[in-house]
Amino acid sequence: MTDNWVRRLNPKTKLLMIPVFGIATIVSPGMLLGLFLLLVVIVMAWQANIIKKFLQTMISFGIPIAVMLFIIQGLYSPQNHTYVANLGFAKLGLEGLMYGGKLLVTLLVFMGSFYLFNKTIYSGELAAALIKSSLSDKGGYLILASLNVVPQMKRQLQVIKEAQEARGVQTGGSLLTRIKVFIPLMGPVILSSLIDTQERGMALELRGFDLKNVSKTSYIQVVDTKLDKLFRIGMLLFLIIVTAFSIYLKVRR
Amino acid sequence: MVTVKIENLSYSYKDSATSVLHDISLSFSSGERVAIIGQNGTGKTTLTKHLNGILTPDTGRVLIDNVNVENKTTAEWASKVGYVFQNPNDQLFLDTVKKELVFGPSHLGIPKKEIQKRIRFVSELVGMQEELAEHPLNLTDSEKKFCAIGAVLAMDPNVVIMDEPTGGQDKSGKYRLAKILEYLKTQQKICIVVSHDMRFVTENFDRIVVMANGHILLDGAPKEVFSNPQVLKEAFVTPPPITDLAQKLGWETTILSISEFIEELKKRVQ
Repeated sequence: MTDNWVRRLNPKTKLLMIPVFGIATIVSPGMLLGLFLLLVVIVMAWQANIIKKFLQTMISFGIPIAVMLFIIQGLYSPQNHTYVANLGFAKLGLEGLMYGGKLLVTLLVFMGSFYLFNKTIYSGELAAALIKSSLSDKGGYLILASLNVVPQMKRQLQVIKEAQEARGVQTGGSLLTRIKVFIPLMGPVILSSLIDTQERGMALELRGFDLKNVSKTSYIQVVDTKLDKLFRIGMLLFLIIVTAFSIYLKVRR
Repeated sequence: MVTVKIENLSYSYKDSATSVLHDISLSFSSGERVAIIGQNGTGKTTLTKHLNGILTPDTGRVLIDNVNVENKTTAEWASKVGYVFQNPNDQLFLDTVKKELVFGPSHLGIPKKEIQKRIRFVSELVGMQEELAEHPLNLTDSEKKFCAIGAVLAMDPNVVIMDEPTGGQDKSGKYRLAKILEYLKTQQKICIVVSHDMRFVTENFDRIVVMANGHILLDGAPKEVFSNPQVLKEAFVTPPPITDLAQKLGWETTILSISEFIEELKKRVQ
């Protein structure tokens, strides 16, 4: 991981970004604010040096969703009054398109900020930061374990795939053969991750994880700078202002 | 008859810049029992994974009966090259030992009667005849290994590769393993085993390949290999204690077993 200011931000700050950005996009009228927030996330991804993968993920997710939303909302939304095009079998409505666009932007903001969060934090740091702000040890472990389980299962799946291929199971090929080999692949993956979880639990116990009446320290130092606090307060204020302003606009109308 | 030829093989893992294997050339022929030894992380497992196409070389090639391994998929090689993984938990997935043994040969289209015959023979060879109805998860680690070995042997491959079969085995487990190796030799199979158990290796193999940092340092009969304490030190391989003792005593002949030691001692006393 390269070092830059996005990565150095406190994990809590980046975690808070997800609901704040997402909710602000939802409550704000129209999609301008959403687009602006999306731009902020993109700039942060660029600053964090993950822009290429970030855009790849967003585009590969965004395009099919966009097509689906625009067709369904654009052609068949009951709100449609203004029509921008006539396709013969149905008319393309502006209101539906706008609504579809808003939904898309909201999804992208949520996904983008989550992706940024996920790729720029070290999961141990997140757990440490949350435990520091009064999350229980067990809760921290739960978060850590669930963040780690996916890459771990991915690795495990690769090993098991090799082991099954060596026994004559074709794992590539047509969809049907892939589905057929899925069961022999999944069996050991699930079983071994269950065994792993159990053993890790016992190992943690043996190392005093559940000791009572001791003040525990953490090996991982989480830096929470003034800037981080400022960011968090700023984001909350921003959310409150956006919400209040949106309500005001609605009431006035 | 079967031949395995590795020609100038080099390999590095995608996610790291350092190469794991450097220009390795080796060949094996029918009836050979070969042990690959060396420190952890020297590329032993990586090398064996090239023999059935799990990994494909960056440069160089592997030929089995003069067919390039890259030309077929790992699954297609499975009938010819059996591979027993280090961790049997990755390999076993059915709900009884018997089903594990039947799985391979039935995938190869072997007739039912022949499968029955093989299962009877193999289950006895690996000591699983009493456990055929057991769930593999209920077996001990050592039994699981034998179950995985049995599942591979039931396919009757001409080349059998085992990654660390000696790990966690007690005396009777090692004895059984020696019997299996002996059987494979009588069947003119090639058997390639990665192991850290020096005593087991000297007693049960015709040929030992010593690896260090992705290179082959020594390759020969146990006597030849263990007569090079200097090179072995370089590979961080410790010879069996009895060999070590004879060398420290300054004896020129390389001793591999206690009986050899006694004989040599008698000679020297007289």
